[in-house]
Amino acid sequence: MMPKIMKDKLNLSSTTRKVALVGLLAALALVLSWLESMLPPLPMLPPGAKLGLSNIVTMYAAGAVGLWPAMGIALLKGAFSGLMQGSVAFCMSTAGGLCSTFVMWLLQRPKKRPFGTIGLGVAGAVTHNLAQLLVAILLTTPAVAYYAPFLLLFGVFFGILTGIVLRVVSPFLDKI
Amino acid sequence: MLFRKKDMLLIFPLVAAALLLLVWFTFRTADDCVAVVEVNGAVVGQYDLSTQTDTQILDLGGSYHVQLKLAPGEISFFHSDCPDQVCVRTGVLTKPGQTAVCLPARVSVEIQGEAEVDGVTG
Repeated sequence: MMPKIMKDKLNLSSTTRKVALVGLLAALALVLSWLESMLPPLPMLPPGAKLGLSNIVTMYAAGAVGLWPAMGIALLKGAFSGLMQGSVAFCMSTAGGLCSTFVMWLLQRPKKRPFGTIGLGVAGAVTHNLAQLLVAILLTTPAVAYYAPFLLLFGVFFGILTGIVLRVVSPFLDKI
Repeated sequence: MLFRKKDMLLIFPLVAAALLLLVWFTFRTADDCVAVVEVNGAVVGQYDLSTQTDTQILDLGGSYHVQLKLAPGEISFFHSDCPDQVCVRTGVLTKPGQTAVCLPARVSVEIQGEAEVDGVTG
């Protein structure tokens, strides 16, 4: 007797569906991070502070496809920015991405969701920034710790933004 | 769920921590501030103000009998016989980038060090 495989209306098994979804999300994360790197640096922001558009994708992935695929997407994103911008960018982006993905996964486990998407976005963005700052301190000088308050503030601000965006787009992503 | 009350428990402490750090970084004296003393454009002494523990008067002599006062984290012109007294009235230097000059005596004091905070505000 054949093992019973769950199939949906498109006649796809849930594994196929998940692989396709992870692939789509990874592509989306790369495109967003590329688009973001095209934006001119805003004058009032400290260097390295970014919108974190691609964080929206890892945030969604952490909740929808589980920890390891989401970590894979974060790693891919880090490798991508390493290819585009060099090894320092690789270290910073990977560290930030992996840490924030892990935190956002922790906060999205079923029945253990203490925060709304705004809180989720803030937690992810702040973790991302702090992990990057830590790597920056290790790679350059401890003096960059001066950026900590600014990175915290912008992490909160952009975290709220990404949380709202995730809330708006996740119903559409859920339909895929 | 877009927003829960617990979100504020996350956001408020983070913002408060950021502001506290900001205030702390702004008002503490820099770790590495070295006072560089020049006479006639030549460096005659460098004093690390962050390791300075006592107050001492530094006699540079010269025709104006310039005296500098070194104290923990600060340096100032203590005395000068020059007519304008601009150097003495400049007061105490505590932060990297600050300078005081006695033009008649050709003595200048500058605090060197990294002044990161000034670079990012705004």
